[in-house]
Amino acid sequence: MSHPVIMVSNLTKHYGNFKALDSVSFTVDKGWVYGYLGPNGAGKTTTIRTLLGLLKPDQGEVQIAGVNPEKDPVRALQIVGYAPELPTLQTFFTAEQLLDFMGKMFGFSAQERKERIKQLLDLVGLKGWGDKKIGKYSKGMVQRLSVALALIGDPMVLIMDEPTIGIDPEATAHFRNLFTSLSKEGKTVFISSHLLDEVQRICTHVGMINRGRMVFDGLIEQVLEAFTQQWVIEVELEGVTKEIVSSLKKLDYVEDVNVEGNKIRIELKEKKDLRGQISSEIFKRKGVLLSLNLHKITLEDAYLRALKEGQ
Amino acid sequence: MNALQRIAVILGYEWRRALAKKWVLVLIVLSLTFETLPFIVFSQTSGTLLTAEIKKTMWVVGVLIGQSVFVHLIAIMVGGGSMSEEYEQGTADVLLSKPITKVEYITGKFLGGFLLLSFVEVITTIAGVILAYGFFGVQRDIHFVPLIFVAVVYSMLLFFSLTFMFSEVLRRSTLAMMMSFGIFMVSQIVGTYLLFRPEQFYRDVSQLLPTWSATALPTSLAADLMLLPGVGLITTPIGNVASAAIIIAVYTVIFVLIAYVRFVKSDVTKKTG
Repeated sequence: MSHPVIMVSNLTKHYGNFKALDSVSFTVDKGWVYGYLGPNGAGKTTTIRTLLGLLKPDQGEVQIAGVNPEKDPVRALQIVGYAPELPTLQTFFTAEQLLDFMGKMFGFSAQERKERIKQLLDLVGLKGWGDKKIGKYSKGMVQRLSVALALIGDPMVLIMDEPTIGIDPEATAHFRNLFTSLSKEGKTVFISSHLLDEVQRICTHVGMINRGRMVFDGLIEQVLEAFTQQWVIEVELEGVTKEIVSSLKKLDYVEDVNVEGNKIRIELKEKKDLRGQISSEIFKRKGVLLSLNLHKITLEDAYLRALKEGQ
Repeated sequence: MNALQRIAVILGYEWRRALAKKWVLVLIVLSLTFETLPFIVFSQTSGTLLTAEIKKTMWVVGVLIGQSVFVHLIAIMVGGGSMSEEYEQGTADVLLSKPITKVEYITGKFLGGFLLLSFVEVITTIAGVILAYGFFGVQRDIHFVPLIFVAVVYSMLLFFSLTFMFSEVLRRSTLAMMMSFGIFMVSQIVGTYLLFRPEQFYRDVSQLLPTWSATALPTSLAADLMLLPGVGLITTPIGNVASAAIIIAVYTVIFVLIAYVRFVKSDVTKKTG
């Protein structure tokens, strides 16, 4: 029987009275690049640390390739590579020594480790730095080394917690390509991020979490579809009055109205070009229109909307 | 890769981690210095203080001189950082997200720290014997050295495991060391006070305190083995070897069990330092 590579079922976790995760469920299959999206403090790292058996769930279960990592960490974590958020590594080691030590934990022979270390240092852009103490590394270099450490066991699943925080744009692009090519090799990549752009660029699937609750789980295209049924009209006025805003809110075809300075953002219930109706409503209320644009909402809008609906 | 191999990997890591800290090396040097001083003092006053018989057993002084305080201090310092520093530095996540069980990890940590202490004791024991030969000539009963060495190492278990336990329970290395050191000092002072009370009950109670067994075992063993006339010069009151060994074992088992249960049953905390 084949299992999903990652299975999270009804996961609940408290820190004291604070509910960090509330019945979170999702699955990740082989070859997916799964983006786990949520604002800071949403519960992403808690989910990941539970997946790795570092935290004990209060309720629910997690499995990696059908194995519970808390009950059988050796079998479950043999196929996992993990890079923590803002990693802190053992500064008394050199990169080569640390990779060698971690390689031993996966049972590689000395020769295998030697070859793999060289390969990985090249891959993450640390060639020539292998014999330097980690204490001398910059933040970005530590992040690169952390990715190499995640790959040392030749894992089937890569779990990356905010992998591009603190690194330069070149390294970010490098990692994006790396993750994409790893997924093409059949590896599963699980990336937690609060950066929409990052997720949109490399992920095939997305899970959205907010305040410990899953608010969306599916294909990237499905997110857009699910949250872009409406069109949006943005208008700029010389002055926004309460009367204009309340009259717009009362219109049957308007879903939501948001005001920011002199701009009004009107989300429509249907995919219809209703600019004429909106402008005449504004004129009726003596509003002076400076601009009026119609557009579909972006992934960012969809994301914010998903978070809002999840609250 | 089997469980023993995984424990061995962590054990090697623990050695490396402890030796990377300069203060551990400083403590070893201090301990060797402390060991040398009495030999210099005794050699200067040998005509008045030491009989020919005692001079032939001065290796015991070399082996046991640091036993009353120094070895336990080193044990406290090595044990104090063993578990907690990984939490403080945020490296526990990296280690425990690798294919290893929690029991294997903590076993490797405990054995790694304890074997490091044993290694330090090997150095100080050898140094003690060499100093005795160097200052006072040929020594007798030298074949008892391994046995006394084992007793010293065994006695280190108590404060090492106590600090190891605090290291896991509190997850703060400085706090763990301070707690253990505090217990060591209080136990030493209270124990000495009780020992000199006339009532047998208080004397018995003093022997149940951690410091009595940890400091008395090697000296008592040396006295038993060699019927040493001058062993009282060395450190602590002489008592029963078996009861000291049992008390150390009981304390150690309790401390280690608490550390294991706490570690296995609780979450791995994120960076705390």
